[in-house]
Formats: sequence, structure tokens, C-alpha cells
Amino acid sequence: MQIRRLISGGIIDRDKSISFKFNGRRLTGYAGDTLASALLANNINLVARSIKYHRPRGILSAGLEEPSALVSCTDRQGVFVPNLKATEVVLESGLVARSQNFWPFLSVDFGATLQLGCRLLDAGFYYKTFMWPKKWWHLVYEKIIRHASGQGRIENNRDAKLYDKRMMHCQILVIGSGPAGISAAKCAAESGASVVLLEQAPTLGGSAAWEQTKVDSIPASQWLQRTSRELEQQPSIRITLNTLAFGQYDQGLVLAVEQSRNKAAAIYWRIRAKRIILASGASERPLIFPGNDRPGIMLAAAARQYIYRFAIRPGERAFLAIADEDELQATRLALEYAGVEVVGNLPRGGKLINTRGWHRLSQIRFTDELGKKQKLRCDLMCVSGGWAAQAHIAAHLGDKLTFIPSLDALLPASQMGLVFPTGSCRGLAEINDCIEDGVQQALRAAAQLGLVPEPEPDLPLPRAGPAYHQHHQDGAMAFVDLQNDVLRGDIEQALGEGYEDIELVKRYTTLGMGTDQGKTSWTNAMLELARLKREDSNTTSHTTFRPPYSPVSFGALVGADTQSNMTPVRHTPFYSAFKAAGCIFQTSGNWVYSRYFPSQNETMEQAIQREVLAVRNAVGCVDMSTLGKVDVKGSDALEFLSRIYCNNIETIKPGRLRYLLMLREDGILYDDGTVAQLADNHFLVTMTTANSAACWRWMNKLLQTQWRDLDVQLTSVSDHWASLAIAGPEARHLLRHLRPDFHIDRDSFPMASVRQGSLDENMPCRVFTVSFSGELSYEINVPAGFASSLYARVIDKGADFGITPYGLETLDILRIEKGHLSIGTEIDGRTTAADLGLGKMVSTSKAFIGSSLLQRPALSREDRLQLVGLEAVDGSSAIPLAAHLTAAPWKPGVVQLPLGHLTAAIQSPTLGRSIALALLTGGHRRMGETLWAVSPVNNQSVEVRVGSSCFVDVTGSRLHA
Amino acid sequence: MLLINCPYCGERDQSEFSYGGRIRNYPALDSSASIETWHRAIHLHDSSQTPIGEYWHHECGCEQWIEINRDVDSHEMTPVSGSDALPGRGQS
Repeated sequence: MQIRRLISGGIIDRDKSISFKFNGRRLTGYAGDTLASALLANNINLVARSIKYHRPRGILSAGLEEPSALVSCTDRQGVFVPNLKATEVVLESGLVARSQNFWPFLSVDFGATLQLGCRLLDAGFYYKTFMWPKKWWHLVYEKIIRHASGQGRIENNRDAKLYDKRMMHCQILVIGSGPAGISAAKCAAESGASVVLLEQAPTLGGSAAWEQTKVDSIPASQWLQRTSRELEQQPSIRITLNTLAFGQYDQGLVLAVEQSRNKAAAIYWRIRAKRIILASGASERPLIFPGNDRPGIMLAAAARQYIYRFAIRPGERAFLAIADEDELQATRLALEYAGVEVVGNLPRGGKLINTRGWHRLSQIRFTDELGKKQKLRCDLMCVSGGWAAQAHIAAHLGDKLTFIPSLDALLPASQMGLVFPTGSCRGLAEINDCIEDGVQQALRAAAQLGLVPEPEPDLPLPRAGPAYHQHHQDGAMAFVDLQNDVLRGDIEQALGEGYEDIELVKRYTTLGMGTDQGKTSWTNAMLELARLKREDSNTTSHTTFRPPYSPVSFGALVGADTQSNMTPVRHTPFYSAFKAAGCIFQTSGNWVYSRYFPSQNETMEQAIQREVLAVRNAVGCVDMSTLGKVDVKGSDALEFLSRIYCNNIETIKPGRLRYLLMLREDGILYDDGTVAQLADNHFLVTMTTANSAACWRWMNKLLQTQWRDLDVQLTSVSDHWASLAIAGPEARHLLRHLRPDFHIDRDSFPMASVRQGSLDENMPCRVFTVSFSGELSYEINVPAGFASSLYARVIDKGADFGITPYGLETLDILRIEKGHLSIGTEIDGRTTAADLGLGKMVSTSKAFIGSSLLQRPALSREDRLQLVGLEAVDGSSAIPLAAHLTAAPWKPGVVQLPLGHLTAAIQSPTLGRSIALALLTGGHRRMGETLWAVSPVNNQSVEVRVGSSCFVDVTGSRLHA
Repeated sequence: MLLINCPYCGERDQSEFSYGGRIRNYPALDSSASIETWHRAIHLHDSSQTPIGEYWHHECGCEQWIEINRDVDSHEMTPVSGSDALPGRGQS
């Protein structure tokens, strides 16, 4: 039974009854209601408990500024959202809403007993109370604080909503469709601009839809209907409802979130506009007096909105404390229309003393103009201390609003960057002024775009309002910020403790934080602060306004980029063939890379052991397709390569290949790879998987910005070629059985060569003799589409030789056994080529990138971290992973200077014992020394002997077999 | 999110670009270039003046490296004069 609903009137659809639940009670409202209006219609005024004192709270406002009426909602689709303002929740059937911050019951709350003690939780309470003993911080205090803090609770369910991100472009963006916004949009469109109009509510018009005012001589609602119709006929205007613009960014970028009608989806809009007209309106300022937070105390304009828009009688006996004379009259008329008895109003010069009431206002006490104490029984109090412009978005780029003493308000300038504030967010109150202002601002915006001539600079001026910053009675429970339970006394205390700046006051008291971002509190707080500091208000500023203007869900910001859509997944050309072969994969960056190939019932360790031994004793094959490959052509190609790689490569011949090192500009080793000369002025360079994209960018950058005179053409061919390396003593036999159309005996196809031709006369190929494993190795490259076919042939022809496919794990073990380098471990952004034992590869006869800064003395000091190999002294202990090197074993509590750290540690299948690579201070001169590899994490210490970083085939005889 | 005027493509969103650092002019690559010369070219920038010259790579567009003057107060970005006359690599 909607006992507070008026018999007629309102912009609601009485034919569509909507059923919903609030705190377990089944209730009904009408289509067009918000949750707040439906609750009021059902005479529910106690909606929430406040965060600190658990005070009973009701509904203060009718819009996004609502500080108190916070609820958790589950919609019909089961989507749960905490901390919604009841005033912003559109009533939908099946909605289940619950109050927050109460325990065990909303009506009987244990936490509310805190208020009996009064001022227990003053500003800085948590900082000062939960200090000692220190060991309680985690054990006790954290639990207490976490239980007591925060608004609402979240659920861990997956967000079932659909999200998307989209772009919009326009010349003039209008934010808000109240009287000013809608007239600005119409005028802008008529001047020829492409216009986007955003409205946060489901319908156009803002207050024009319900306020009982007149535009010229016709009622505002009629004017609105006519203007909306005209607007919809404009072809160059796009109207987007249910869309909250929440932030302004550089160069006309505005971010907004559009909710779908049924709330099951949301679109995150990025709107790029040449000019922005901000018509986001204003909200009323409450009054600060003891007990100003009781349910039943409501902003005057909100009361009018509940009466005219939702046809609700918000109380029976009303008391008015309204600053503006016109608004006082309008509110009085509205209350009379709704059948509410107005029992009195606060006279000019009167002071509010306090209120009474348990779950709802029941009595108001004040002094009249003669200073005589009065008390009146009432259940509704309409308050207004004037208006506060909601021009946050205009100030998002850093410019602040200015305090206008004559208006007692913080207002934006008439143009702030690309933003033209208009209407009540510029301080205008009267509807005809707002409409005229919208037109004028639209013309000014259009004129700056060259669409219309510059208009006369005669904007309507904000009318001087009443200076009503009346200081009411001091007392305990006088709230400045209802959402965060910040009292007037808290501001005073913050000042007393030295937090004088408004930004510090905000942080110390939490004033203006939370889901309402202080929309009803910040002007009052600023004036209060100025009063306490005995400062002129216009030297006091507001805190920095930052996006979002009103809360936006993380889901909307993230969009569809979740789960597998978060990053692209890259498969090598061999993926399907490997999958069929039972390969276990792992991700490495964006790549899905083969990890190992288990036979039946094999563990990973067993599989790796088998794979390694197969490569050392027979032949294995491994996917090398992820290496970066760049085709370099042009008459200056060799010159270019000679500048970016540190090796002497000027003597390279067609058909040959070199191992290369690339340095950074500062001489530190950056990447390794190979260059193969395919023909005159035609090279193929490879780079590591990890750096392939960065190297490609870097090479292009050099050619496009530094060396524009070089004749070089680069083509990235990384994805064009499938690359399978066959490695092991039997590799040459296997290659022969693949029937290449070129000679492959040792002398005609030695190590470090490249041949182009075909396999079995039907598969084009490039074969490189290059080895990462230390074994005789051929890297067979075929066009990517031939990958599965090549793999099938290698497995087929290799069966007699014991062909064994292997993955990343075995690849890594093989390279560690040989002391080959890897990006991120040895090439770690701090080491030079000489540190890693490759000093001889650095040319001293030419200049290249990094050659000058490599000469810096510190880069050739002998006590640098240098690459060495380690073996356990006892020959059997396992060297702990990621250990540090010290002179003595690890002992708890004893600090030792670390001499270096391990970069790799494995159980070598080839050698049958544990080996490791390490970067050791002055390592190259410590050969034969014994040290300790210590791992405090595992509480392990193993004595190790320093030696060469190459453990297998030190002379390289296998390579050239 | 800035708006960058690519001399090849026109105004595009910053998300299409990646930042490439301050504009630098390499000393000549020959043995005469001292450590000091390279140190100045690579590590030292005058941060006091605006606009500052920057490289931007139109990675999700024409793949060209462009030179931009960015006003660090207003974030206004203008192509370095003359750089729009660059021959586009790979576009000839």
C-alpha cells in the first residue's frame, strides 16, 4: 500500500505497478519511480545507517548528490552492486535492495550505541587509538578496523554484465539536458554544429519536467515537450540518455558511461569534442545544526521533486528553513498542493538549535528573530542554504572554481578551456535565465568553431542570492558531511591540530570523500573552514576535483578486455601439429609455446631428461618460430647493420651467417641474434623472442630519425616463416633424408652458413647452421603454411634416428649446459658483453651504437659482476635456485656481503649433476675458488666451485662434427 | 588521452601511438666522438623549456616515427616544422 502516494499527478505510469523488495519486505511502486521515491511512497523513511556513528538516516535529496541513502541492490539478472544511492536507482521489477552499515537490524543497531558516548570517533580516531602495542597491528587492530570501515560489502561473483567501449566525435558536446542544456543543444545544432547531448537520467529535461514554473507564458513542462520534439527533428544531434559524463580530459576528451535500459549492459564512451557545454546543474546546500541528519530532513528542491515528479506526500507536518525567498514560496506551494501542513518556518535571524526523533524527525527547536526559544512538532523539514554549482567537470583539468562573495557560492568562469558552463551550474536560478544562457553559450561555442558570428557578450548574470551562511547552534551532532559522518567539530579539531589547508582537512577528517564526493558538503565545509580560520571566504579554495564526478563501476572501465580477451594469444605455426603430438604448452609473453612432449605416463622431469639425452646422443627438433626476423635490403644495408651491431661483420659473404650482439646507446648489452647474408645487399637478421617487437621499432626509429640518408628497407618477416631446428649428432643424416637440393656435407655447408632451396623438390626452405644447444644443428625455415607438413616429414624421416621433439624446458637446459645467454637472466640490462665473456666480439676497429659510452671506465672494472659456471664441490648436492653467493655458509642473523647471484641452476641430465650459472663479482679472476651458494628462503647452503660457464663440449667439436 | 597530429594520417588518438622519448641528435658515429659528447646527447636534456621535442611512433597506424613539439603546460602537440616533409619509409 503506497500510503504516501498522492491520488493523481506526477510523471509516473500508474498502470505499471512494479514489485520490489527492501530489507526483505515486498513493496510496490510505479514505473517512473526511483528506489528512493518508491520507499517514500511506502512511508519508509529509515533507509540506512551512517558509517561511523550508525545514526539512522533517510533520504536527503533526489539526485546524484545523495549522501545518506546508500543501498546494496541485486537486480532481476542477479547482478549485485553495493553503495548505490537510492535516488539514482531506477525502480525495476524484481529489484532486491538492502540497507548497509547496520548490525544486527536496521531499526535496532548495536553500533548506534556508540553515539550514546558521543564524540568517541573524532577525527584521527583510528590514527590515535590503534597505536600500541605494535604486534597488535595485524593481529587485532586490522580486524577491528576492517570490520568497522568501508561502505557496503562486495560479492565475489563474476560480473555478469556486458560491457563495451566505444568512441564518439562531435563539434559540440552538451552535458545535461535541463533547461539550459536542452536549449544550448538546440541552438548549437541549429547553428550547424554536430552535437551530442548526454543526459544522466532516462528522460530529457531535468527540473523543467516537474518544477511548476513558466517559460515566458507557458508551463515549463509544455515548453520541454515542444523543445524535445524540435530537438529530435534535428539531424545533426545525437541524444544519449542514461549516460553519466564523469570526467573531462585533455583536448576535449570526455568520458561517460551509458547504462542500458535494463541495466544488463553498459557502454564506456570516449567522446572527443571541439567544445563542451556543461549544463550539469546545481544541488542544494544543507544547513549545519545539531541533529541535522535525521530522517525527515530533506532538501527543499528534493521535496518539491518528490511531490511534483513522483506524486508523493513526503510528510504530514513540515517546518521550513529555506534561504531564498522565492524558493520558500515555491516549496510552501508544493507542500500545500500535496496536503502537507506547514507548521512554521525559520524566520530571518532565527537560529536552529536541534532536532528530536528516534527513527524519524519528531520535533524541531529554534530561536526566533527575537532570540526566543521555540519548539514545534513536525515530521518533515525542508532545508536549503542556497545552491552549489555542480561544475566539477569544468575544473577537472586543474582550473578551480572561484568564490563569489556576493552570491555566497563557488562558480566556474563563463569559459574554462573548451568548457562553457551554463545554467544553474553557472549560478543562474531562474528558468528563463537558464534557457537564455544556454542559447548564448551555444552561440559563443559555435562562434569559436567559425560556425556563426561572435555574439554580443551579454550573458545573463547570476542573481545575488541571500547571504544565508547562518551560523546555527553549536553542538555535538552537527554534520557537515553526512556520508562520512564528519561533524563541524571535526573540522575545528583538524584545524586545532594544525591541518589548516582544505586538502589536509579533507584527508584528516574524510570530508568530501566517498560515493557522493561531497556534493552536498564541500561548499559548506569551505565556508566553515573560512569562518574558523577567520579568513575571507574568497581566499579559501575547494579541494581538487578529480574524475569520476560520480561513481563508475570497474566493469565499465575495463570493458570487454577480461579473461582471454585481456591480451592477444599467439600460436606458432606448429601449434596444431604439436597439439596432436601431445605437447604440453606454456605461455611465454603472448606466445603459447611448447614446453615438453611427454610419452605415456611420463612426468615432466622424466620427459625433459629423455629429451635432453636424445639431443645429446641422437637428434631432437624444436620450434624456433618465435624469434624475431627482419629482412634488410638496400645498398646501405651492411652499413646499417654494422652501426647497430657491435661485431665486425663487414667481411660477411653471401651464404654465411654471424652471431651478433646489439648494445644500447649506453654500451650495455641489449640483445643477441644472427645475421645471414642471403644475397648482395640482402640480409636476414634474427633477434630474441622477448625483444623482437622492440628491436623492430628501434631499427625503424634509427632509420627514420637519425640516419635518413641510408638506403635501407626493412621488412618484418617474423610471422612469415616457420622455423624448426633439428639438433644432435644425427642431425646431418636426418637433413639428408629430407632431401635438400643443395650439398650439406661438412665442408660445403659448415657451421654459420645459410642455404636457400627446397626439400624433396616441393617445399621451399632456408636452412641455417646455427646452434643454441651446442650440438650440430640445422634451423629449417619454411613458409609458415608448410609448418605441419615439415614437422610430419621430420618425425617420419627421423624415426630411424630417434627423432625427439622437445620444448622450452629442454631448450633451456641445453643452453645452460653450454653457457649460452638468455634475455632477462644473463642479459639483464646491467651486463656488458665483456661481463658475459663475449668481450672479443666487440669490435675495436669501428664505431657503432654504444661504442663511445662503453668506454666509460666503470664498465671495464675488474670487480664487475661477471658470468661464471658453478658446480657443487661434493659433486652431488643440488645447487639451490636463485641463490646468492657468499664467502661463508648461511647463518640466520649473520649479515654477509653477497658476492653475486645465480642466473640459472639445473640438474644436468648430460652430466648427471647439479650445475649453475652465476654473475659473480670479479668472477673471471676467481676460477677454481670455492664459495657458498646460499638460499635463506630454503635455509640451504651448498659449497660450490667457480669455473667456466661452458660445461659441455668446451672445444666445440660437436658443433663442427 | 592526448590527440596527436600525425603528418601522414591526421589527428589520431594517443592510444594509436607509443612514446619514443625526447628528440635526440646522435653525434657522428666515428672514433672521434668522445664519451662526453655521447653522454650529453643521450643523458642530458634541458627540461626547463617548453615545448619539448618528442618522438612518437604511430604504431597502430602508419608505423612512422614522427617528431612532435609538446607544450607541457597546455599539452598542445604540433608536428616539428619540416618533419611532415619526411619521405615515409616503406611508403614510396
